[in-house]
Amino acid sequence: MSLLPIKPKADAERSGALPLRRRRHASTLRKLEGSVFIAPWAIGFLAFVAFPLIYSLYMSFHQVRITVTGVNASWVGTQYFREILFADGGLLYDDLFPFLKEALVMIPIIIVFSLMIAILLNLEFLGRSAFRVIFFLPVIFASGQIIGEFIAQGEGSLGIISSLRMDGMLARYLPASWAGPIGNVIGSFVLVLWYSGVQILIFLAGRQTISRSVYEAARIDGADPWSTFWKITLPGMVPFIFLNVIYTIVDLFTYPSNPIIGKVTTENYGLSSALAWIYFVIVLLFIAIALVIYARVDRALSPKRQ
Amino acid sequence: MGKLSWLKNKLIGKEADKGLLFRALLYLLLVDVAFIYLKPVFYMVTTMVKDASDLLDPAVIWVPTGIYGGHLAEAAKMLDYVKSFGVSLSVSTLSAVIQVVSCSVAGYAFARLDFPLKKLWFAALLFTFIMPAQVTILPSILLFKELGWINTFWPILVPTLFGHGLKGALFVLIFRQFFSTLPKEMEEAARIDGAGAFRIFFKVMLPISRSAIVVVFLFSFVWSWNDAYFPSMYMFGASDVPLSVGLSKLNAQLAAEAQEGGLRAFLEPIKMGASFLIILPLLVLYAFTQRWFVEGVERTGLVE
Repeated sequence: MSLLPIKPKADAERSGALPLRRRRHASTLRKLEGSVFIAPWAIGFLAFVAFPLIYSLYMSFHQVRITVTGVNASWVGTQYFREILFADGGLLYDDLFPFLKEALVMIPIIIVFSLMIAILLNLEFLGRSAFRVIFFLPVIFASGQIIGEFIAQGEGSLGIISSLRMDGMLARYLPASWAGPIGNVIGSFVLVLWYSGVQILIFLAGRQTISRSVYEAARIDGADPWSTFWKITLPGMVPFIFLNVIYTIVDLFTYPSNPIIGKVTTENYGLSSALAWIYFVIVLLFIAIALVIYARVDRALSPKRQ
Repeated sequence: MGKLSWLKNKLIGKEADKGLLFRALLYLLLVDVAFIYLKPVFYMVTTMVKDASDLLDPAVIWVPTGIYGGHLAEAAKMLDYVKSFGVSLSVSTLSAVIQVVSCSVAGYAFARLDFPLKKLWFAALLFTFIMPAQVTILPSILLFKELGWINTFWPILVPTLFGHGLKGALFVLIFRQFFSTLPKEMEEAARIDGAGAFRIFFKVMLPISRSAIVVVFLFSFVWSWNDAYFPSMYMFGASDVPLSVGLSKLNAQLAAEAQEGGLRAFLEPIKMGASFLIILPLLVLYAFTQRWFVEGVERTGLVE
């Protein structure tokens, strides 16, 4: 693919010819400059994203053998896809469905919690900066294996859950297929809070975009804090809520401790590639659902927001 | 001005923070959650300094009777701390610095410059952001093997040169967002003075993007410091491993020892000591930079 379809015209700036020509020269020059700026990223994309992506798709239809002389691939068609999707349930379904259910429960909790914390941290109160320092700690911890250590310690659960026997109640009132994942989420509720670091940051930054004069106007009109939240803050935060939903989906689904991701190994290149692709399609599906909902909500809100 | 804005802050710009009851509730909630965040840290620190008698004594939970450095020393030895620390520090610093430069260049191009197929490339950027690394990891391993880079740091560093690498797409997006919120006047003034895009970018735009640079640098540093996935995929046979990989090796080693009948009580403090040693540099870094970080997050317009 040719990256620079524009011919360089170095003397464009000082030529002083016809205005039209000059404008065209200037725009060519600008395009050239822009191309130079984007070129490293574009080359990197082709080398480290596009090429591996296509190669991985290729491998998923082949039986790949790594030999001393190179890579031997023989066509197997959709055998691996069929194996994962229909024949061998253990590889995908046993881990995937509980994980998806957990994610479905976790995403709303993370969003609501981080929105709440961000709004609280945005208020003026004594010791706010100290709290901010503490609430950004998850950004440091949660990306590493340290968080795994904490789960292993049982630091993930809230003492109150087990002391109130919530798990028993869950088992009684919910269908068994859902009680398990929800119980897991509650059991590692603190962990859910640990995953909220970046989301809190995004909400904090987003909250700054709602101008103060809007709140002032609402106050003058005699709006109480409750309706101010529902009528101003929440609609203003809708884009950030969806940004966070997408970030959370991407984050949860690409987390190295994720059960599916651990199955992508160098043992069987073809099978692993097929699994990674199926998984990627699921991630895309989730994001597409989030985007469709966002488009609906945005359309419903836009006349009000004007 | 100060007085006035203080008064203004008191009157407006907040939803519901009047009344003692609300204040009490606010603090209760924040202190609770802060406690949840801090508790594992306390647990980590207290467990690691307990000596044998404290560990076995059920009366000692939070406050050890004395401070014992043996577990910490053991953990440091098992991690090969000095060497791994050097590796982690150099890899994380290098990739953070490189990512700041390369991602800001790409972000500036997306925000302000014009180039062919801009929409298509932006779609590629978003695609890169949402794509799980696992889809491309196996071909990447083969590619780097072909280049002879397995068990070196090149597979981690070279993609960052091009604005990729760990979460590179996110950093490009952050810079794009930041640059597109800046006023255009300065660039136009510089352009009229005859400056090209390069001079404008390095002399005008970069110096005023401190907040975005701090945010991206810290994120990049912390994430590459903590990341164990890529190093374990690209450097499985290397002897110089970063701390994050050292921790998984240490866990495996301890598990093996426990199988052979080691004392269970001593595994915890060593693990906690190792975790502490890994997280400590980040905490120190954060303590020094948090002021800029918090400010940066609010000013970057991290988001649309």
